[in-house]
Amino acid sequence: MKYTLPIGPIHPALKEPIMFEFEIEGEKIVNVDIKPGHNHRGIEWAGMRRNPIQIIYLAERICGICSASHPFAFCMAVENATDISVPDRAEYLRVIVAELERIHSHLLWAGVAAHELGFDSVLYLTWRVREKVMDILEYLTGNRVNYAMYMIGGIRRDITDKQIPKVKEALNYYKGLLEKLGNIFLKDPTIRMRTRNVGVLTKEDALKLCAVGPTARASGVKKDVRQDYPYAAYADLDVKAITPDILAGKVVGDVYDRIIVRLLEIKQSVEIIEECLKNMPSGEIMSEPKIPKLLINLKKAVGEGIGRHEAPRGEVFHYVKLDGKETPYTWKARAPTYNNLLAWIPMLVGEQIADIPIVAASTDPCIACTDRVAVIRGNKKNILTKEILHKMCVEKTRRLMK
Amino acid sequence: MMLILRLLILPVILAVFSIFMGLIYKSVDRKLAAHMQARIGPPLRQPFRDVRKLFIKENIVPENAVAWIYNLTPVLSLTAAVSILLYIPIGSITILSGYGDLILILYLLMIPALGMIAGGFASGSPYATVGAQREMVMLMSYEFPLAITVISIVWKLSTTYVLTDAFSLTTLAKYPVWEAVGPVGFIGLAILLLTLLVVTPAELSKIPFDAPEAETEIAGGLLAEYSGRNLAMFYLSDAVKTVAMAGIVVALFFPYNISVFFNLPTTIGIIVDILFFLLKVLIIITVCVTFVRVAAARLKIDQVAYTYFIQLTLFGLIGLVLIVLDTILPVLTG
Amino acid sequence: MNKKSEITPEGIVEYFKNQFGDKVIDFRVEKRKIGVKKNEQKMVWFRVERSVFKDAVKHLLDLQFPHLSVVSGNDVGENIELIYHFTVNYGEHLREIPVNISVEVPKNDLKIPTICDLIPGALVTEREKQEMFGINVEGIPDSRRMFLPDDFPENVYPWRKDEKGIPEKMVKKLWEEKK
Repeated sequence: MKYTLPIGPIHPALKEPIMFEFEIEGEKIVNVDIKPGHNHRGIEWAGMRRNPIQIIYLAERICGICSASHPFAFCMAVENATDISVPDRAEYLRVIVAELERIHSHLLWAGVAAHELGFDSVLYLTWRVREKVMDILEYLTGNRVNYAMYMIGGIRRDITDKQIPKVKEALNYYKGLLEKLGNIFLKDPTIRMRTRNVGVLTKEDALKLCAVGPTARASGVKKDVRQDYPYAAYADLDVKAITPDILAGKVVGDVYDRIIVRLLEIKQSVEIIEECLKNMPSGEIMSEPKIPKLLINLKKAVGEGIGRHEAPRGEVFHYVKLDGKETPYTWKARAPTYNNLLAWIPMLVGEQIADIPIVAASTDPCIACTDRVAVIRGNKKNILTKEILHKMCVEKTRRLMK
Repeated sequence: MMLILRLLILPVILAVFSIFMGLIYKSVDRKLAAHMQARIGPPLRQPFRDVRKLFIKENIVPENAVAWIYNLTPVLSLTAAVSILLYIPIGSITILSGYGDLILILYLLMIPALGMIAGGFASGSPYATVGAQREMVMLMSYEFPLAITVISIVWKLSTTYVLTDAFSLTTLAKYPVWEAVGPVGFIGLAILLLTLLVVTPAELSKIPFDAPEAETEIAGGLLAEYSGRNLAMFYLSDAVKTVAMAGIVVALFFPYNISVFFNLPTTIGIIVDILFFLLKVLIIITVCVTFVRVAAARLKIDQVAYTYFIQLTLFGLIGLVLIVLDTILPVLTG
Repeated sequence: MNKKSEITPEGIVEYFKNQFGDKVIDFRVEKRKIGVKKNEQKMVWFRVERSVFKDAVKHLLDLQFPHLSVVSGNDVGENIELIYHFTVNYGEHLREIPVNISVEVPKNDLKIPTICDLIPGALVTEREKQEMFGINVEGIPDSRRMFLPDDFPENVYPWRKDEKGIPEKMVKKLWEEKK
């Protein structure tokens, strides 16, 4: 006997609003329908009416956890379009901030996944560990989220020699901790029972549905923008895409594999930051330090450009077209969860209801990033039109009263 | 006169006392769990504040709920949970000692769970339906090992000492079962104790067996639609059931009273016994509920059913067989 | 031409020119130097006509199954230009090449064939283009609205810059609202 179970838009299992409708027989899921759009804020349209430097501020606020990824990709897109070249030191600093954000995001995800499983102890412990990387980010950038470090042509703040020892101390702390994290997540019997062979995404499905990020890598697809199409300092480092067979020997494509991929990526990030600190070139950090002059240059620029960045969740893609006016002609921002939405369907069909939160959370969805995708010159959905109607109503009354 | 005292006044005192103690145990459990998770945790008065807040809030009855069942089941759960305590020896006194035995207690244990199921189905929401279905499956699963444990102990006692009312709890208190078994039976009893300790978290719907009330999966499950006074009564019945279940474990396996050792005068002896009982209950709750809650994730309902139907039942049956052997072996060899 | 290591940007351009002749226009191969070691990063842009668009995509699939990042769009006066951002050749360091294929669709004949049967992952982005530009994607398996709410007015296409874009009255200027 089939019945329909709606999950969302507001549900304790989901960190952000998205609507799922499941058709269920008993406890088994037969069909899934995904309806995004509840977090739609019209950011791209707002961006098309502002100049590129203001767009950076908008891009930071697309999402809290991916706050360094969107401006990074946007700046690269604009630099591609206008052939501004970024100084070497700025490239390395950008990579350091991006990797710190990756550590922070993966630790947050680990805690959330444990909470979905009902394992609150691990949630508290993991988020406590995450405080260390937030402290370092605050020390370097001045804020725990929304770092405001990226600018077209470089980066806004530098790392002085005084700050480096503290960063190194935090990295050593994490290196010592990874053993323990690995033990908690990978060797615990209840976690293994809940995540092995659950939410499987086969390699063919991952390729056909164009999945990105750890979701695709856990299914054996070695896609990583840092490896395939390197940008900034990654071109000098040798970053390899991480797939679960490094640790487990085989690839199944289930939730357990995604945990493995993310934990190994934390380790990889720590190593990348150390490499960068070791090989940091000296020089200036911005190609054009005076912002008004940069703005004048951008106003005259013509061209189109693409920026791609490997955010913690996958590939972030920005496309910008400038045509010599103050505001860009087109701005398209595409978050990684956009591509991973379709991947939910083969993962969820055939599983039980109890698996829905952990499978949905295993792709690390960031619905805030996804929904602001389209340009909507109408800002927030219903609320707006109701008020406009009310206003028109009031005006008509006033007219009639005259 | 004594009957009126026992039937009317003592149960009221008992109800208040058990609710109070249940909430205190809940707060100790939360505080211990918090320290195990490197947090500080809420102060000891927190459950009392929670209950007071719930009583103040509005009681919403959803539109497509069956109102009379919806409002009746919390009261039913709470009264059934309190009445279990009437039959368990608390220290050295049992309030209604001649009037009920283990079989009655087993029936009474099921009523709060059945009440929650009925309340869940009567809520009229898909989340509550899913939660109620899961609770039904869990109820069926853990009854079997529970029954095996109880029956083995009673059978052992009734064959060792020729008794007519082996199911009665005063008999269990008079003849602690550990003294009635030889070495083989000792192992069997240990196995049975372990089985009962694993049944306890399922009975009380705690992690890893709290699939019916999973917060992240089905938004609160059974209790999703309850609020205000009804939810407060379910909360209280959960607290009292904790005391009752731990009390049953204590009564079955550890019914010792220390006042016997110290030869104290009767009134002080009663009070000391009650305190000792409370201490034993606290230890059982810490072992079964708090440690397990902090150390494991939530299991899916089919994994829960598998654990109880297959693994624990086999385990319990091994214990039963060992106890039977313990009786038969001296006869065969001796 | 089919081995991974032999795919170069110039090779891709040749490949398409051979197949489609002059229906493929506006080639551009961009190269940039990055990092301290000054390695090279390459990108291919070209435009195809709508009539051979689906064949062009099939041709790309014969080369290697691509990864579709997204479809972006521009409103250029009389036409709507859709740019399909593909990438080929993932898997090795510095080897991936983005291939950006743009198609122009005239506004009085807003149709384009779907590529969902070739690349199932294109469903989300094609649905978005349908609701944002008013383009009719032929053969799409699911044509409901993706991100816009269901009661959004018909015939208002947010990304257009002409009369069918968002009218001024739908915009709420917060700085002009009185409390």
